[in-house]
Amino acid sequence: MPRALAGVLIECDPSIKAIIVKIDLEHHNDIVIVDIDDEHVLIKNDKHELLKQLLKDALKDTVREAEDSSESE
Amino acid sequence: MSTTASQRALDYLEQLPGTTFTKLYQHPSTALAIFRRMLPHFAKTLVLALLYLPGSFRATDLDTWVKTDTASRRARDRSLDVLKRLRILFEKPDEAGRAGYALSPAFAKSLRLALTGGGEHGSFGVPCSTTGSEAAAAASGVGIEELDNFARRQWEGILYYVVGAANAGLGATSGQTISAGTAQLLQKGEFVAVRGRKATITQSGFTFLLQDTNAQVWTLLIVYLEVCGSLGMEAVEVLGFLFTLGSLELGVAYSPANLTPTQHQMLEDLSDFGLVYRPPSNPSTPNTPYYPTRLSTTLTSDAPALPSNTSDPNQPPNQTQQQKGYIILETNYRLYAYTTSPLQTALLSLFSTLKTRYPNLLTAKITKPSILSALALGITSNQIITYLTTHAHPILAHAQATHGTPVLPPTVVDQIRLWQLEGERMAGFPGYLIRGLEGEGEYERAVRYAEALGVLRREFKGRREFFVTRMDQMSGYFRGEAGRRKAREAGNGEG
Repeated sequence: MPRALAGVLIECDPSIKAIIVKIDLEHHNDIVIVDIDDEHVLIKNDKHELLKQLLKDALKDTVREAEDSSESE
Repeated sequence: MSTTASQRALDYLEQLPGTTFTKLYQHPSTALAIFRRMLPHFAKTLVLALLYLPGSFRATDLDTWVKTDTASRRARDRSLDVLKRLRILFEKPDEAGRAGYALSPAFAKSLRLALTGGGEHGSFGVPCSTTGSEAAAAASGVGIEELDNFARRQWEGILYYVVGAANAGLGATSGQTISAGTAQLLQKGEFVAVRGRKATITQSGFTFLLQDTNAQVWTLLIVYLEVCGSLGMEAVEVLGFLFTLGSLELGVAYSPANLTPTQHQMLEDLSDFGLVYRPPSNPSTPNTPYYPTRLSTTLTSDAPALPSNTSDPNQPPNQTQQQKGYIILETNYRLYAYTTSPLQTALLSLFSTLKTRYPNLLTAKITKPSILSALALGITSNQIITYLTTHAHPILAHAQATHGTPVLPPTVVDQIRLWQLEGERMAGFPGYLIRGLEGEGEYERAVRYAEALGVLRREFKGRREFFVTRMDQMSGYFRGEAGRRKAREAGNGEG
């Protein structure tokens, strides 16, 4: 019998996927519904904004923005 | 021009209740405005054909008008759809009970009045008596040029508020402040978001700025229509007056004597937007004549809303110059803008770092921080690129025409897109994951069906699951499948 699960399909790189899984663990598995494959997860509809924010914070710590030294005029 | 503008107005109209339409169509000006601005050409032909027809028009007769190819049929279906949604046309079987169409009597009556004249409805505005208006015009000296200037000043004030709110420190004040009511309206329409005490532009605000003037006016007026109910104003009267304004003549004084209280209140707001001009001598007296500006007289026509939008040779050259492209973008991310307008300066400062200002030239540079700050406001990279493309200097457009090179340097365009992508490490698509399909054949069929509907986002073959963006039609499909299988099993059981 076919079943439909409502949610947001997240497409991302495997590295980002790993971070999402980690965030999910920290939030008592309250975000991810189905872990589909390395580049796709299904998350709860109402957790999309939260995950976006958490991912941004996580990336801020790990990825350093290359300072664009504006060259002289 | 501006199909989006009439589309927005149409979308707004369509969600109104039927009784509102009956009231609206009492006014010949409304009927005429909707007829000339909102209807596709085929619908106009149909309305004119039915206008003086006493009975109903048979559906089969209509089919003889339409060629049998798909494009023509689609045009017919679209026209019928629009007419029905605007409650202009309804289905009315003829005496023999065959399917047919007829016009709404109220609409037909008003449109006949509008086209052939007659009646004492005052729907097209009441001009001040000829001698009076001449005297008034001579006394206050309200010429068409002055009206245009007034309209432009007011409207640019609004646009400037939307962009400039974020960079008041730019020192490029236009000397124009907008009324508190207008500012509130811009917030309601989410063109600006107030964070703390500062108003900053939003994504829809930027979209608003990218439109042509007529579309901008409609966008703002639709927000006005949506909030006017809460101000104790009757939406029907507001809408009716807007359509009236659309049919007034530029440079003529109109008397507000026959307006309702709601419409008097509107006059105040519309003069804040620059849609009507009221001589400042005694604005408080209710019977001061009002002058429609070009912003309002072009509401329901295809003419450009501000004269600076045209390449009309009668216009002063400095005004036509403004609307032409003025931006040169180099491959080294430097940007040169030939502009003196504080509005455009403020706009550019949203996504580039301003470097130097010369009397007629502004140099700036597109940098990663400048783009990121624009992205943080919700402006998308595509919007920035669209803006740069539409306002590219004629030299860039010329290069494209002669050498076939892109208008903007591809490196810069790609980089702007990449900067946005960098911030979006994941993409989310709301929808439904479908699983639990039994058998390869059943899975394949369901996926192909979803693909044909255009709702398939991605399939995961190994897991025999797939993701769709919409479910309503899919669930119908599954119900049908289940029904068929049950029938089959029942058949097998018997045999």
